[in-house]
Amino acid sequence: MKEIVSVSLENDMDLILAHKRVMKVCELTGFSLIIQTSIATAISEIARCAIEHGEGASLKLGIDGTATRKYLVARIEDSIDFSLKCQEALNYAKRLVGNIEVIKTPKGIQIMMKHLLNFSGTFTPGKIDSYADYFKNEPAISPYDELRRKNLLLQEFADKIRDSEDDYRTLTDSLPLMMFTLNNRGQLTYSNKWIEQFLGIPPKEITAAAWQNIVHPDDYATFNRAVTAALQKATPLKGQYRLKEKGSGNFVWHMITALPLKNEKDAQVKWMGFMVDIDAHRLAEKTLKDNMDLKEVQEKLFENQQELQTKIVELNRSNYELEQFAHLATHDLQEPLRKLFFYADALKTKYHDKFDASGLNMLKNMTNAVSRMKELITDLLNYSQLHQQKLDFNPVDLNVTVQDILKDFEITIQEKRALFDIGPLPLVNGHALRLRQLFSNLISNALKYSKKEVVPHIQISVSQTDEKFVFLVKDNGIGFEPQYKDRIFGLFERLHTRDQFPGTGIGLSICKRIVELHHGHISATAVPGEYSAFEIELPMAAVVN
Amino acid sequence: MIVDDDVEDHVILEDYFSDLGLKHYLQFASDGKTALELLEGLADNELPEIIVLDLNMPILNGTQTLLELKRSLRYKEIPVIIYSTSENDNEKSKCLSFGALDYVVKPSDYESGMKTVQYLRSLVKNF
Repeated sequence: MKEIVSVSLENDMDLILAHKRVMKVCELTGFSLIIQTSIATAISEIARCAIEHGEGASLKLGIDGTATRKYLVARIEDSIDFSLKCQEALNYAKRLVGNIEVIKTPKGIQIMMKHLLNFSGTFTPGKIDSYADYFKNEPAISPYDELRRKNLLLQEFADKIRDSEDDYRTLTDSLPLMMFTLNNRGQLTYSNKWIEQFLGIPPKEITAAAWQNIVHPDDYATFNRAVTAALQKATPLKGQYRLKEKGSGNFVWHMITALPLKNEKDAQVKWMGFMVDIDAHRLAEKTLKDNMDLKEVQEKLFENQQELQTKIVELNRSNYELEQFAHLATHDLQEPLRKLFFYADALKTKYHDKFDASGLNMLKNMTNAVSRMKELITDLLNYSQLHQQKLDFNPVDLNVTVQDILKDFEITIQEKRALFDIGPLPLVNGHALRLRQLFSNLISNALKYSKKEVVPHIQISVSQTDEKFVFLVKDNGIGFEPQYKDRIFGLFERLHTRDQFPGTGIGLSICKRIVELHHGHISATAVPGEYSAFEIELPMAAVVN
Repeated sequence: MIVDDDVEDHVILEDYFSDLGLKHYLQFASDGKTALELLEGLADNELPEIIVLDLNMPILNGTQTLLELKRSLRYKEIPVIIYSTSENDNEKSKCLSFGALDYVVKPSDYESGMKTVQYLRSLVKNF
């Protein structure tokens, strides 16, 4: 049956309503006034019995049947079978409309009245709906009716709200999102399950003071300030704070948002908010930022490298130019010097007879000065060549090297009666000529800076570690103040006047450079009046080029 | 023929020659290009018996001049002595490989100058 309208049958007022509705339905479905009255009277008779003897009866009016044969149906249902108590009324009703059926059901009783409709085909479902709509919008028949209707409506709304609230709660509880409402004093009035699940604190215990244990200590001050300000000014709160997770005790980044809600009078009534886990987001953000930082650093590094490269190229060029200059300058200086010496010598040789003793002395001094300058330039040339050359390394037997050097100094050694104590020396990979220059300079110094009254005693020894040879060239000469131990390797550094000891102040600079070209290290120790010692470290790996 | 941009060296050599009382004809050029031009203007029988070549010269330096001379059919038989201030072994072996007869360092005193001139003289048959 497709229902048009129903009436609950509880009291006399309902009876009137039922009568009126039956009349109206009959009118709408096109029955004549006589039939309307007959049906309404018959239904009213049964309804009156139901009100009197039944319990919670209701009357439903509707249309039933096939497409071509449709009936107007009036059905009174009750949980109590009251039919035996109103046989008279039933009989009366049957006399009025015939076609009344009493059906006993497990739930109680149904009294059904069917009346064939004229022009059945015209009662489409849409038309039946329009009858139902009529009753929905039907003006109240009486204050009672109106009250009742409002009551029903309220009930309906309450049901709907309850349903919707249930839905809402289910929804909010199932979200991994903390949702809450606060009253205008900041007290928690609603919280979803996730809050308790995450924080591990029952909602009742989440007081203002509890937040101090929830929010990360580093974030709490900011959080507290923001919340206080938001509550005072009733402005939205939004911020990122770390909250402590019950299970792990870890602090997890959350975005906390709370919006003030106002009523129609614009008065602050409550707060609504949520806290969402943004830890992954923060992590991604941080990683991204770290990446960016890294990239920046990389770019900076690359720039620096390029700058360094440019500087190295510039430095190399300027070094090269300097060396070229030194080489050319010394070379070009040598030429006029050679002439100067040559002419002085030619004068002395060719015109010897034409000079007196004083003139010859001047010529001698002149050639001496030129000799010194020649020596200086030769040393300087050697030194500058050391910077130009890339050395080819070969195995060098230092025993042979040192013996060769001693032959070079034969005359001086004899003059000074110098003693040598030379330990077995190793075979090293290096530049033969330069290594010879190195030891030659050191031996030359040892002979030169000897004490006049003492026989020079020069020791050359070597010790060996896994990685390097350490050579020691030690004399028993005049030594020097230890404070000069680094300075003596500087270019043109001299500790004595030329009268005391002739020299250019380049020899040890050359030594240092040669050792460096062999990737080694040279250092000096001395005690004034006792000895000087030069220690040369040559790394084996580097020496084997 | 003396090829040297240093006029003083010309004079020094000339003096030695006269001191030794040598009868000779010395021809001077101040760079390689001038030398080659001078040679160009000479008849075959006028070509020098020996060429003394400085290395460090403007326009056409000693090494380049040496190469030009040794490349030429007309001059390649003339002995060339390199006459330089620097005692550079690399330079020396390079010049010898290019066909120089010898590499002589310019004298730094009177005595060694004398020896050099006598050495040069010994290389020339017709002094």
